[in-house]
Amino acid sequence: MALTRRQFLKVAATSTVGAVAFVACSTPQDEFLIQSPVKMPEDLVAGADNWYASVCRQCPAGCGTIVRVMEGRAKKIEGNPLHPINRGKLCARGQAGLQALYHPDRLRGPRRRVGERGSGQFEEISWDEGLSLLLSRLKELQGKGQADTLLMVTDPVDGHLALLVKRFLRAFGGQHLVYEPMEPTTLTTSLQRTFGQDLIPHFDLENTQFLLSFGADFLETWLSPVAYGVGYGQFRQGNRRRGTLVVVSPRFSTTAASADEWIPIKPGTEGVLALSLAYVILSQGLASPQVAQAMTGGAGVGALESFRPEAASTITGIPARDITRLARDFAQQRPSLAIGGGPAAAQSNGLFNLSAVFALNFLVESVGQRGGVLNNPSPAIPDVGPASYNSLADWVGLEERLRTGQPRPVNLLLTRNANPVYGLPSQFASALSRVPYIVSFSSFMDETTAKADLILPGHVYLEEWGNSVPNPGPGFETIGWQQPVVNPVGDTRSFPDVLLALAQGLGGETERALPWSTFRDMLWEGAKSLHQRGSVRAADFESFWIGLLQRGGWWDTTARGGQQTTKAPVLPREPRLPSFSGEGDFHLILFPSISLGDGRGAHLPWLQGTPDPLTTVAWQTWVEMNAQSAQKMGLQEGDVLAVESPVGVVEALLYLHPAIPPGVVAMPMGQGHDAYGRYAQGRGANPLSLISLPKDSDNGSLAWAATRVRIRKTGQRVKLAKLEGFVTPTQLPGTEIVPEAQVTR
Amino acid sequence: MSEEYKWGMVVDVDRCTGCQACVVACQVENNAPLSSEESFQRRRPMQWIRIERYWEGEYPHIKARFLPLLCQQCGNAPCEPVCPVYATYHNREGLNVQIYPRCIGTRFCANNCPYNARFFNWVEHQWPPVMANYLNPHVTVRPRGIMEKCTFCIHRLHRAQRQAKGEGRVLRDGEVQPACVQTCPTNALVFGNLKDPNSRVSSMVQDERHYRLLEELGTEPSVVYLKKVVPGGRAS
Repeated sequence: MALTRRQFLKVAATSTVGAVAFVACSTPQDEFLIQSPVKMPEDLVAGADNWYASVCRQCPAGCGTIVRVMEGRAKKIEGNPLHPINRGKLCARGQAGLQALYHPDRLRGPRRRVGERGSGQFEEISWDEGLSLLLSRLKELQGKGQADTLLMVTDPVDGHLALLVKRFLRAFGGQHLVYEPMEPTTLTTSLQRTFGQDLIPHFDLENTQFLLSFGADFLETWLSPVAYGVGYGQFRQGNRRRGTLVVVSPRFSTTAASADEWIPIKPGTEGVLALSLAYVILSQGLASPQVAQAMTGGAGVGALESFRPEAASTITGIPARDITRLARDFAQQRPSLAIGGGPAAAQSNGLFNLSAVFALNFLVESVGQRGGVLNNPSPAIPDVGPASYNSLADWVGLEERLRTGQPRPVNLLLTRNANPVYGLPSQFASALSRVPYIVSFSSFMDETTAKADLILPGHVYLEEWGNSVPNPGPGFETIGWQQPVVNPVGDTRSFPDVLLALAQGLGGETERALPWSTFRDMLWEGAKSLHQRGSVRAADFESFWIGLLQRGGWWDTTARGGQQTTKAPVLPREPRLPSFSGEGDFHLILFPSISLGDGRGAHLPWLQGTPDPLTTVAWQTWVEMNAQSAQKMGLQEGDVLAVESPVGVVEALLYLHPAIPPGVVAMPMGQGHDAYGRYAQGRGANPLSLISLPKDSDNGSLAWAATRVRIRKTGQRVKLAKLEGFVTPTQLPGTEIVPEAQVTR
Repeated sequence: MSEEYKWGMVVDVDRCTGCQACVVACQVENNAPLSSEESFQRRRPMQWIRIERYWEGEYPHIKARFLPLLCQQCGNAPCEPVCPVYATYHNREGLNVQIYPRCIGTRFCANNCPYNARFFNWVEHQWPPVMANYLNPHVTVRPRGIMEKCTFCIHRLHRAQRQAKGEGRVLRDGEVQPACVQTCPTNALVFGNLKDPNSRVSSMVQDERHYRLLEELGTEPSVVYLKKVVPGGRAS
């Protein structure tokens, strides 16, 4: 008898035979009722996956990663659980690294310019051709005795790559400039002055009780966000007592949203508030007498008379009683920690602000203490240190050098993953056109690479060797080890390998300074000094090397930063007030986007499609304006506004922000690219073009929070691409959407 | 019901900073289509986990609250009984499972989900050819016309369970995690086996701050939230 499926099921379902048969096959009853009709494709995947430890290069923090690779393709990036910086965790930008690797608009091989410079017309050439073109240029410079007119511009490079670049330029001649739009030189200078250390210290916010942040958006983009995120989780719910976070900032940032209290402050007056807190602490006897003596130069609290809360209140806009309360909490809930950055640093008086903020840590004796500011040790391998940065002053100097050719012209520019044409004021781009020959080693056609004469595209970080010395480190010696996780996708070469090949081609002193044929060989040799101590134990070096790669790095938890030796600084007696550029009605605060950063992540659609946590806007550039003041001006969400500063105009969409102070507007950085691939090009606006060069700055940094702007309605309106309103929140009577609990411990 | 496993998640709202790491991690792991500008404008971004942001109060006494929202894997799921083709069903380990080949796209389930955790594929999604290299071979790429949602990374669970079974043991606590949990910098998300009394989730669901979203609807979610803490704030 032929049995159809339907008949079989009928029989099976109703007869005892069927029941017995199914029980005998031990198929549970519920599975029998709704058996999947087909196998899912993922049930049929054969093969195993491999995991490789490496280092994330999406921002300079240096988190450790492990990458899942199947059939030679990278499938997923996770945090390396062993790595002391990020402890198994990763941020949105780190997660999105795969799209850089498999990006449709990656530069796939060497090219030579054929049209006008900047016209985007290139022809494909071979690596042999490309390298010999560059080599002949280098030899020409050498022959004419103009080796010092070579300029190399890179993203922040650290570890052995920094050493390689240094040795190359020392042997050949020429200058190296590091481009980092969020250049932390104000921060590093103030830290250096306050704590006497060249390295950024370890802020132990994980173990602190009271954390006071002056604009340091450590949960977004400040220094090492994943490390601080891990610490923050512990600070909130991992310790015996829940820590308290207070954020002082002219803008309601994502970090401020996570604070227990946000205190809006007039832009650029953070230093005055910090010194007023110091005044209260000293006048109420909340600091030890020795500290009080030392920090006032023996003069006592009278030295800080100009910072009485009543006086500071008029400057900062914060009520005097709030200043007193904050000072008492900060001094009494120890260990307490004060950090500063972001809009407090990006001012003409940024150095004054940050120095005053960091000095507070001496006042409450948090320096060198658990839950406070801990020193980081000098690098484990001498000469192999963290990235160094150039300040805006160096770039201003370069612009003048390019324009005038004095004291020496630049005859050859080598650039790698640095995009100053996008991030610096427009006069820089025009000055750049005076360089006779520009070579780019970048992986993408960014605005700077578009001006190149020769493109020798580099690998994406997942394809190349390297190591990283994170700064800030975790308080002990740490080196992350970066290994390629897949074979190169295109016909690209690793930048350090190209430099080594050039050194060999040049011969002479340059070759002698760099006697390695590959960068891997250099790393191999460099790792030898780490053998015999630290986290990787192995009898012979070969096994040590394998262990190093398996763990994604090396650290020595016993090699910690020394005790604090610098004396507490003497606090300034007079305030230094900020100066602003422009005359408009609104104070403009820029901020790096949590997903796109300063614009480096704009080419990745995953990051473009990541909503800003507060406004929930994706893909666009918006202007945050206080909802009530905007409505008074007759503005509606999505209105295209022209934002005018003395040096530029950009257009962006209005977001009605309920939490930004009236009189302040804010814009995210990251969009407004003329190039950089299909997902970034021609999208949004670049608000950096509104910022003028500082005139009377105390730090030579770009003051991107010190411009006053006019706002004009253009009459157009565009629908915001935002997650907000995606669903109407369901709220049952008598319940809260996000209920709150009181502190219970 | 399975003897060994019932999967659950704890979301500590007091730890969440809204950083979006979970959102991107989920999209990478689960072959989610690229959320275009237009998809946001049309209110159709595909985010199996999303961060909802709520404003509370008025300037200057204003707060923003972040709420990570994903499929609650309800014990009494409103999405299940309305599916005419049994594409959405309850598995033995307490998960609401979506069987893509069965789905005929009635969207009844999404309509019935009070958490808006289900997403419909309105269009056929495209990746530039080279980008397809990163697609996860263990997760089906969903075609146009069917419904999808958070699976608690069931492919990870299955693979780990097969491995453990081969070794003659049950999964250890923390051995397998969904992508969102694995990446969450502040450890706001914790995943585990509610049947295991010693697992972290089992102890965390006892926390005095625990609550469930729209608990009054009787959906019995497997996701438990821990309340945001406000110093000196109002008790709830």
